[in-house]
Amino acid sequence: MKPPVHQEWSAVVNGETRHLYTAPGTRLVDLLRDQLQLTGTKVSCEVGRCGACMVLLNGEPVNACLAMAYQCEGSEITTIEGVRGESEGELHPIQRAFVEEGGFQCGYCTPGMIISTKALLDEYASPSQEQIETGLCGNLCRCTGYGGIIRAVKRASEHYSSGKTESPVVKAASGTDASEV
Amino acid sequence: MLLNREQSGKRWHLRPDGPPKVTGELKYLTDLTLPDMLYGKVLRSVYPHARLLSIDISEAEAMEGVYAVLTARDVPGLNRFGIATPDQPVFCEDTVRYIGDAIAAVAADSPERALLALEAIRVQYEELEPLDSTDAALASGAPELHPHGPGNVLHRTEIKRGDPEQAFANCAHVVTETYYTPRQMHAYMETEGGLFVPDETGRLNVYAATQHGYKDRMQLARIIGCPEENIRVVSSPIGGSFGGKDELNVQPYGALLALKCGRPVKMHNSRKESVRAGLKRHPMKIEMQTGISREGMLQAHRVRITADTGAYATLGAPVLNFCTEHCMGPYVIPHVDVEGVSVYTNNGLSGEFRGFGGNQAIFAMEGQMDRLAQMIDMDPWEFRRRNLRQKQDPGPLNQQILPTEGLSQVWEAVDRSELWQKHVHPQPESTRPPWIKRGVGAAIAMHGAGLGYGIPDPAGGRLSLNAEGKIEAAFSYEEFGQGLVATLEIMLCDLFQCHTSDLSIVIGDTDRVPHSGSSTASRSTTMAWMALQRLQHVFRNKLLTTASQISGIPAERLITGPAGIWTTTDSSSPVSSRLVTAYKELVRQGEAEDWIFDTTFHYPTTPDHVVGGHYLYTYAAVVAEVEVNRLTGETKVLDTRHIVAAGPVMNPMGYIGQIEGGSVMALGFTLIEDAVMQQSRYLTSNLDTYLIPTIKDIHSRLEVEAIEELPEGDPFGPRGIGEIGSVALAPAITAAIHQAVGVWINRLPVPREELMMGLDMLLPEGVKPS
Ligand code: FES
Ligand code: FES
Repeated sequence: MKPPVHQEWSAVVNGETRHLYTAPGTRLVDLLRDQLQLTGTKVSCEVGRCGACMVLLNGEPVNACLAMAYQCEGSEITTIEGVRGESEGELHPIQRAFVEEGGFQCGYCTPGMIISTKALLDEYASPSQEQIETGLCGNLCRCTGYGGIIRAVKRASEHYSSGKTESPVVKAASGTDASEV
Repeated sequence: MLLNREQSGKRWHLRPDGPPKVTGELKYLTDLTLPDMLYGKVLRSVYPHARLLSIDISEAEAMEGVYAVLTARDVPGLNRFGIATPDQPVFCEDTVRYIGDAIAAVAADSPERALLALEAIRVQYEELEPLDSTDAALASGAPELHPHGPGNVLHRTEIKRGDPEQAFANCAHVVTETYYTPRQMHAYMETEGGLFVPDETGRLNVYAATQHGYKDRMQLARIIGCPEENIRVVSSPIGGSFGGKDELNVQPYGALLALKCGRPVKMHNSRKESVRAGLKRHPMKIEMQTGISREGMLQAHRVRITADTGAYATLGAPVLNFCTEHCMGPYVIPHVDVEGVSVYTNNGLSGEFRGFGGNQAIFAMEGQMDRLAQMIDMDPWEFRRRNLRQKQDPGPLNQQILPTEGLSQVWEAVDRSELWQKHVHPQPESTRPPWIKRGVGAAIAMHGAGLGYGIPDPAGGRLSLNAEGKIEAAFSYEEFGQGLVATLEIMLCDLFQCHTSDLSIVIGDTDRVPHSGSSTASRSTTMAWMALQRLQHVFRNKLLTTASQISGIPAERLITGPAGIWTTTDSSSPVSSRLVTAYKELVRQGEAEDWIFDTTFHYPTTPDHVVGGHYLYTYAAVVAEVEVNRLTGETKVLDTRHIVAAGPVMNPMGYIGQIEGGSVMALGFTLIEDAVMQQSRYLTSNLDTYLIPTIKDIHSRLEVEAIEELPEGDPFGPRGIGEIGSVALAPAITAAIHQAVGVWINRLPVPREELMMGLDMLLPEGVKPS
């Protein structure tokens, strides 16, 4: 094992062009977490099983632990930090649905879950139960038993299918009051 | 009450940690970095059992970018850790006892360099035959893994009552069966890790997950050989634990490396390393012999429990105690003969895991109940009713326990449930292919809360009005996902009629919270509630009398409310009143200390001298409907109903989440999960081979019914429900499998091959597979 040789690398991450030096064989998950400090993308199994590291690569969900920097060169990457509501500080309807339905507990699987849900709902605005199961079976959650997650996906899909992306706001800033919707 | 969002109304409380979790903004402790930090890595044993002949670190030490290489010689204090019995070496000195044993640790300026340095450490071993089963470890002449013997026994338990020998002779029917349960893995999504930061004053700041920050601090101080005050442990938020992060894991290495280098050190286990080094649920073999009278009354019960505790003690002894206590179920049995043994082997580490030994015991005991009921051709639920302990009966260890109606209530809820009716009146299997069979089963359990008699289980808490004028509640509990912070918010808003924005909840930081015990054994909710009950009066008094002094309005006409103190004509509602003083203003009156109120007490225990015996229990029953595919042996759980009697539901979203999550974890335990070992090495080393349920594997329907009643004037309040959702599903599923296909399952995860049949045996005569 030798220390890796670094090269120039660039891609559009969450809408912003980012340039940096990295080894071509750097895993996307490390690049995001360590070099760009985008720690919303989590790391758990590192073999493509758990989905904690899920990001969108040119709109498609991929496991960032399996994607190498050279494979993402010049592409468009969306991480959880790039998923937001329409206006500043507002949650995306999927995120809002996860909060309202209790679609998370420890929250460690949540960014990946939300990315996969986004990919799913972008494709099918009102997915069937089977489509939900297929869309999310690459994401493991050990805490919720998936009940809250399924309810959240269904609720988010109501927003998607009605074309309604705005609804009572739950602010993203921590410490804001999020009780009683 | 059927628990769901609709039924919960205004109590459906959104978690304060929701927005930062769904946006990815929240920094877990493994996400923390500092500009000048180093990366720590641990060298673990190549063999599950070996003598260490020599360790040569010179090459690693000389490498560029390597700042420290530590071995046993570099531990200034005690080279051991373990919550109950500190017998696990930080670094092995002369023997390695499992595949996760640590030999050395390095800190380097990049993770790659740290790994290179590990490769450069030369270790010479003399490989020894691993004791890869409890049988091998108990065999005469087996080498002793620990000097404190005798043999490889960590702990024994025993309960004897009546005259079992004679009673068995008089029984009309006796069932003898041996049950086996798997080595389940916690599989928390966030693996162990954190950041270790020495500061200029010589103090060490530890940012790493645990279920009990103070206990970590105590153990780390012992290892480092420093006063506890020199260490601050910050331990929340946590990406899941389920018992698996209660023991120290990376902390000793991170701490020692950081102190040695004088720089921050980051540790983060890979999943493979986490599997290799981390705790698992104790695999158990439970032999049971249970006899009944002609009328179907339990007479005699003989149990032999053998638990594989692995290389070190961790909580092996308390887990065995708990299993022993729960292996008689919630039943009255006059003649009892139980023996348990927890055995050291070279098979990884077994320790604390949600359910704490109850899961294994309840699977076995409920299995016996179903088999016995069938023997006398009685409905299994009716059979249980006849044998259930009554409200005033003593607990399983013959100890006094708090009388509640919980048990009969969960029993009745099952009896009248539609799902159970499907068991009583099975529907014809008309439309399904002949190899798909359905069945319904149910199980019942009582589960002890708290650590039990004779074990220090201190609790407490602090309520204060802080400098910002917020009502601050501080506890040493941790948020590992269960929703503790949301529950505390609900309790505080209930007590003070205030708004969540008036609150500051402080947990998981030894510098900022009082000693209030651990977040284990389903105790946090009860303990927090009891602490707040004790503190609310003094605290409110102080608020109201101070507001009265300022405003001249008599304290009796003042109440706490949103943003401050309000006048009221009706003492229960601030609605028609006005704000008299803001909390912010109040705190300016007098000294800061005047506004701090502490309480300490002990978790309620039975008055009887029965070590480990519980006083408070929660009660639960589960009904499950399954579909068994006789061609593939696959069992699919279609429908479940969990009935839980744990007192008032504080936080419905959290409650549902805990039961659903516990249930699916139990589904994994029942049908798919097993950390398989061969020759004391894991064959299932990551989540691609160790399978946990995915969204495709779960029950299509899961209903939660909460029984909220507590005895009148009950001083203990809501009971924790962190574990109860995970303890009774397995026997319900295996009973359902039996109804579906007539096979008694005695081993988990359910072996598919036992359920498979050839197509020719399944098709009615004359029908040919096309
Ligand atoms: S960390 Fe990438 S799939 Fe698990
Ligand atoms: S919320 Fe903890 S893993 Fe999903």
